[in-house]
Amino acid sequence: MYVEFLGVPRQRAGVAEMVVEARTLGQLLETLSSRLPALAEVIAGDRLHPSFAANLNGDEFISDPGTPLGADDCVLILSADAGG
Amino acid sequence: MAHGYHGSYLRIDVTAGSATRVPLDDATLRQFLGGSGLGVRLLLDEGAANVDPLAPEAPLVFAFSPLVGSPLTTSAKFAVVSKSPLTERINDSLASSGFAVAGKRCGGDALMIVGRAAELSVLVVEQDGSEEQARVRLVPAAAYRGATCQDTESRLRAELGPEYRIASIGPAGEQLVRYATISHDGRHAGRGGSGAVLGAKNIKAIAVRGTLRVEWAHPRELTALSRDLSKRSFGPATAKYRELGTATNLLTFNRFNALPTRNFQSGTFEDAVNLSPEHLTATRSKTRESCVTCTIGCEHIYSLGPPKGGHYDGVRVEYESLFALGSLCGISDPDVVLRASRRCDELGLDTISAGGTIAFAMECVERGWLDEPWLRFGSGEALLRAIELIGSRTGIGRVLAEGSRRAAHAIGHDSLSIAPQVKGLEIPGYEPRALQTMALGFAVGPRGADHNRSGAYEVDFSDKVDRRNVTLDAVRHAIETEDKAALMDSLIVCKFLRGVFEDFYAEAAVMLRAVTGWDATAGELRETAKRIVAAKRRFNLLAGWTPAEDTLPERFLNTPLPDDPAASLSRNRLNELVAEYHRQRGA
Repeated sequence: MYVEFLGVPRQRAGVAEMVVEARTLGQLLETLSSRLPALAEVIAGDRLHPSFAANLNGDEFISDPGTPLGADDCVLILSADAGG
Repeated sequence: MAHGYHGSYLRIDVTAGSATRVPLDDATLRQFLGGSGLGVRLLLDEGAANVDPLAPEAPLVFAFSPLVGSPLTTSAKFAVVSKSPLTERINDSLASSGFAVAGKRCGGDALMIVGRAAELSVLVVEQDGSEEQARVRLVPAAAYRGATCQDTESRLRAELGPEYRIASIGPAGEQLVRYATISHDGRHAGRGGSGAVLGAKNIKAIAVRGTLRVEWAHPRELTALSRDLSKRSFGPATAKYRELGTATNLLTFNRFNALPTRNFQSGTFEDAVNLSPEHLTATRSKTRESCVTCTIGCEHIYSLGPPKGGHYDGVRVEYESLFALGSLCGISDPDVVLRASRRCDELGLDTISAGGTIAFAMECVERGWLDEPWLRFGSGEALLRAIELIGSRTGIGRVLAEGSRRAAHAIGHDSLSIAPQVKGLEIPGYEPRALQTMALGFAVGPRGADHNRSGAYEVDFSDKVDRRNVTLDAVRHAIETEDKAALMDSLIVCKFLRGVFEDFYAEAAVMLRAVTGWDATAGELRETAKRIVAAKRRFNLLAGWTPAEDTLPERFLNTPLPDDPAASLSRNRLNELVAEYHRQRGA
């Protein structure tokens, strides 16, 4: 599956996107946290820090670590305070 | 009198060149606080709703707040409140920095300006150490006619002295462009045309200087609160503003098909990356600046061209300017967008309304409804030329200076259906079909389509709603963001702090208690926020508001977003949302 970083998460990750294997949102975040230590401010365990948000395929916003993910899914990680 | 306040405002009649100190009682201050809330209350008391906003008797209020002058981060802000010449409805625009602090030190909780000076003038409000009340005088300003906002401010400070703080209008305000701004220290009270209201009073600038400080009820507690808030303001909740600024919205919104493009004909812009802060940072030098007392530092200033004499020619970049003068007009050259943004700042033009009105005209040309063949999407030359014509009210600029709604009435055909406005105020950079809680926020906004008085977009970017298919459940969330904005705009603290607060109302009550000594509670402040929103609606009702105004242009209703067919908002659904909004508001 794909992960796409936007805004500050992209700054932290140092890349715009990457491919990751994960079956749930929680697994995905734990994997990202171990592969990209610079995301420490963005990810806390198997959840995002409240200042950041995850979106599935540009459709629904997801926060439950147990949310299932498929191989073709794309998870967007962005700042929660859109706008301004 | 509560701490944190002077307990009066200065009513200045620029026809007579005189001022009167008007008492404000504790109850009024506690009910409306300051900023937007106090400003609206003063306008209601003045009977301003039925007055032509450009008439001499129309009042223009600069409202400070109990927090101004305190060490609380981002509290150096003021609200400019009047009836809008663009919408004929309530208008409250906020700006920041030293004018708020110096203005409050003149000894009042607000300055109200009425009348019309006999000639173009600078209004000087000053108070020296031994004086209990500020003096006012009018200084002829013929030498400043046509000067840019920045030039006016720097020349006036050189002339009067560095201790003065200046709020000024540019040529657009002098020309009564209906979306002219009032500028201070590079920031603008931008929306709704308060610059035209000041211009109609023949006032080019207001210079303030004073020494009267208020006392704080609990200074030690206030100092501790300020330290804590400043510390938290360096955390992840404000990282976006510190590191990239609001411009970071551009690529995010583009990814969600929510970036208005070519007058809202699309939600994605193929060249968005060219205008993104990531691209700008990679190709130009950048500096950051902050308002007085602010620890966030959201202002990202990018260089325009190579350095001259060791100095860069810098332009402040905000998302709203990038979208309005970029994707909305189909402009992909960042040099053009930066030049256009700076020119709007110099002329004193609201970038959102300028870009929205020009993009509207570009589509009218495209459809054959307007015979100005040079005015085409994607033409940087056309964008810059149109801005000049608007600022000087010449040629087609005479029509475009009136805003897109009035321009549509002049152009005719079916152009009102594509004029990007609500109540006459041009829509900011949020595609309503892709962000439908925000669509509701735009439709019911007392000052028109507005992202600063309704933060409903935050709901769309959360798991609370399906942003492209919202239900009536979205209404309570939209109301919550509107209430919170009303309180922030009246205390006043910057909305960029909003993510820092775990329970904003509870923390606001603690801050207010430390400043004023009132035993304020979160519950009381929730009621205060609702009272302020209700006061704005009451003003509009008195000004002639009808329910038919709470809607969106035809373009957005019943027609899906071309590049995202799932983003569709029916007229029936919007009507249901609006009706539920009014039901929950108790209207």
